[in-house]
Amino acid sequence: MSDLGGLSFTRSRPLSLGVELELQLVSLRDYDLTRGATDLLAGLRYDGSFGEIKLEITESMIEVNSRPRDDVGAIGADLDGLRAVLVDHCRRNNIAICGGGTHPYHHWPERRISPGERFAYLNERYGYLSKQFTVFGQHIHIGVTSGDDAIWLTHALNRHVPHFIALSASSPFVDATDTGFVSARLNAVSAFPLSGQAPDVADWAGFLDHMALLQSCGVAESIKDLYWDVRPKPEYGTVEVRVCDTPLTVERATELAAFAQCLSRYLLRERPPVMPAMQALVARYNKFQACRFGFDAQLADPLRRCTEPLGESLPALLACLADDADALGCRLQLERLRNVAESRQGDSSWLRAIAAGSENFHELTRAATERFAEPSGYRQGP
Amino acid sequence: MTSPFRSVWESLHERLYFFPPFPTEVDPLVLFALLLVGGLVAGEVLYRAGGLSRIVGYVLAGALAGPLTGWLDRESLILAKPFADVALGLLLLETGRHLDLAWLRANPRLLLTSLAESGLAFAAIYAFARLAVGLSPGWSAAAAAITMASAPAVVLMGAQESRAQGQVTQRMLLLTALGCAASFVVFTVVLGVVHAERSGDWIDALAHPLWVAGGSCLIGALCARLALVVAARQHGGPAARMFVLVAVALLAVGIARMLAVPVFLSLFMMGVVLNVGDRDRRLAYASLPDGLWMLAIVLFVVTGAMLPLGDMTLETVLQGLGLILVRGAAKLLGVVLSGGRDLPVGKQVLVGVGIQPLSATAIFMAAEISAVYPEVSAAALLLPLLAAAMMEFVGPQLCRYALQRAGEAETQESGRQP
Repeated sequence: MSDLGGLSFTRSRPLSLGVELELQLVSLRDYDLTRGATDLLAGLRYDGSFGEIKLEITESMIEVNSRPRDDVGAIGADLDGLRAVLVDHCRRNNIAICGGGTHPYHHWPERRISPGERFAYLNERYGYLSKQFTVFGQHIHIGVTSGDDAIWLTHALNRHVPHFIALSASSPFVDATDTGFVSARLNAVSAFPLSGQAPDVADWAGFLDHMALLQSCGVAESIKDLYWDVRPKPEYGTVEVRVCDTPLTVERATELAAFAQCLSRYLLRERPPVMPAMQALVARYNKFQACRFGFDAQLADPLRRCTEPLGESLPALLACLADDADALGCRLQLERLRNVAESRQGDSSWLRAIAAGSENFHELTRAATERFAEPSGYRQGP
Repeated sequence: MTSPFRSVWESLHERLYFFPPFPTEVDPLVLFALLLVGGLVAGEVLYRAGGLSRIVGYVLAGALAGPLTGWLDRESLILAKPFADVALGLLLLETGRHLDLAWLRANPRLLLTSLAESGLAFAAIYAFARLAVGLSPGWSAAAAAITMASAPAVVLMGAQESRAQGQVTQRMLLLTALGCAASFVVFTVVLGVVHAERSGDWIDALAHPLWVAGGSCLIGALCARLALVVAARQHGGPAARMFVLVAVALLAVGIARMLAVPVFLSLFMMGVVLNVGDRDRRLAYASLPDGLWMLAIVLFVVTGAMLPLGDMTLETVLQGLGLILVRGAAKLLGVVLSGGRDLPVGKQVLVGVGIQPLSATAIFMAAEISAVYPEVSAAALLLPLLAAAMMEFVGPQLCRYALQRAGEAETQESGRQP
């Protein structure tokens, strides 16, 4: 059991950013998921200049982490650098990488758990769920200066989980079937017992009490065991938004980071009233609405006791963040997201349109790999 | 002397209008079914009881039915040959489809590795046959051409049997495909050399290799085009595409047999052209149905029955072992020395181990040459045939070991078993 002393909150630069992307490794032969992460990393010659490249729970996944950055342009440059390194290295191994929250047709029993103590523990603990966890998400870290701020921001961001889901949704297909959801990935996450929302604790001390309770009951050993939608990450000094599907492009991943940064600035600046207990009553329902209907979701508002169309509230929210975007230098990224929200054409729509014009799901995945392989606007150097 | 059973049968035939005459020949389908069931049972028993590759069981069943008991005689083998041709053809078609030029463009070192392992294997086997066994230059080259490549049937089936996935598996399949291509080129040249050495007839020496190479390329290319054209007009799903692929492959097998062109070469070329020419990816994802791999059982049983086990003496066995060792060392060194840092050295060694199998294609290539000069080829081709015979029992195990050791074979808990 870990020591609670290890849970002291590391102060970090306010509103600094970090992005993690879980990416799909597919065979260039048939575009099905392939096992290759360990060999890829073993043969990779990379100096770490754009951030980290790491194993994920199964051999068909690979994770890239940007370095901690202050602005989204630098995040985009890191992600594009990581993209270029991986695309090139994978190509030499007859593998392609792509975004998207789910692989459209892979057979989950064929997945292989990656080597490592942590992955073996998860496999032992969760059984087949660990292989079904071969889904791909984007995690966004936002720097805060204290544990208390982290807890407050965690609660404040929880209300906007449906917005993140709708903007990032890129997983309409599972088992070669159109699920009808725009983000079916989160259904795989929901199966885990410690998924969901952070508990209603008032501050960092309250959070430590809660962790101590979980530890003493044997529910969780560390924060890593908590698959909450938004959670504090004390060792990084950040709040981590974990509900986004991995987008199909580095541009969209960067735009989502910009949204998280602007929204956090706005929330920390305005400090709107946050009522975690009330919000918890509708959180699962609202998440379902966003996963199922995306921009057409109808969100429950327990404070005003009414329904709010996400397709109207999201563009309004993005417009409201304009000043923060200007202050943070990410107006362009937010405008692009606003266009997406207004047109209601996100990555899921793109995938469905490609699937409609393709004879099979192999071609859909091929299109996704080609899209991800295109250099982004954040590319540095020649 | 007729048996009582036959006497009863013949008397019934005389009395009853509908009763057929006593069957004096085995129906090819009966033979096919017996080979299939016999091979299947032997393979499964060895797999369950000893953890051996099923392929060893199939070959053992053939060896038991053929050279060891004489039940499968020359006539039976001729009857079974079309089934074996179809099986080998489909496996070579699949091998040709693994010759991935896009991968080679992205990673040219793989081509270097292939040249190194095939080239070293050819040189080592040629030198061994010439210097240690004392074969003529032509027959030494024939022995080297026949045995330099890995056995596509064994490597493909091994990967299929283990449901293996990963870099070792992919590289084994690619090197096998490239090795086959190199071996087929050398094989056609060697045909000319053997003609020149045996008969001194330069027309045969030039025309026969041209016929073999040109005919195979033409059949392969035309059938691949036909498959793509038909597939472009099909609106069905994966099953329809698979049907097109198998139907046209069968056509190619038939035409190759009619024109006395090697089936394995024609189908390999068809696979290569399909891989290169399928720009709209009409058949790129069409996979052969699992059931068709059953045909491969017949191939291995027939191969086992063709093994020259009766010709084994201490001297020939030692020569065969020598060939296997120099070939194995050459392939292993070729892979490891040219592998660069793409893959950890341990995995490169496993790739080198995994491409050791030597089998059906070699035996069928030897059969092509021996059909030309039956009077001399039996002795001259004994060396590669015995090496292939021994490797029939070891190669599948090496392939299986490499895939398991690399951690790429599917474990029991991973799900479906073949």
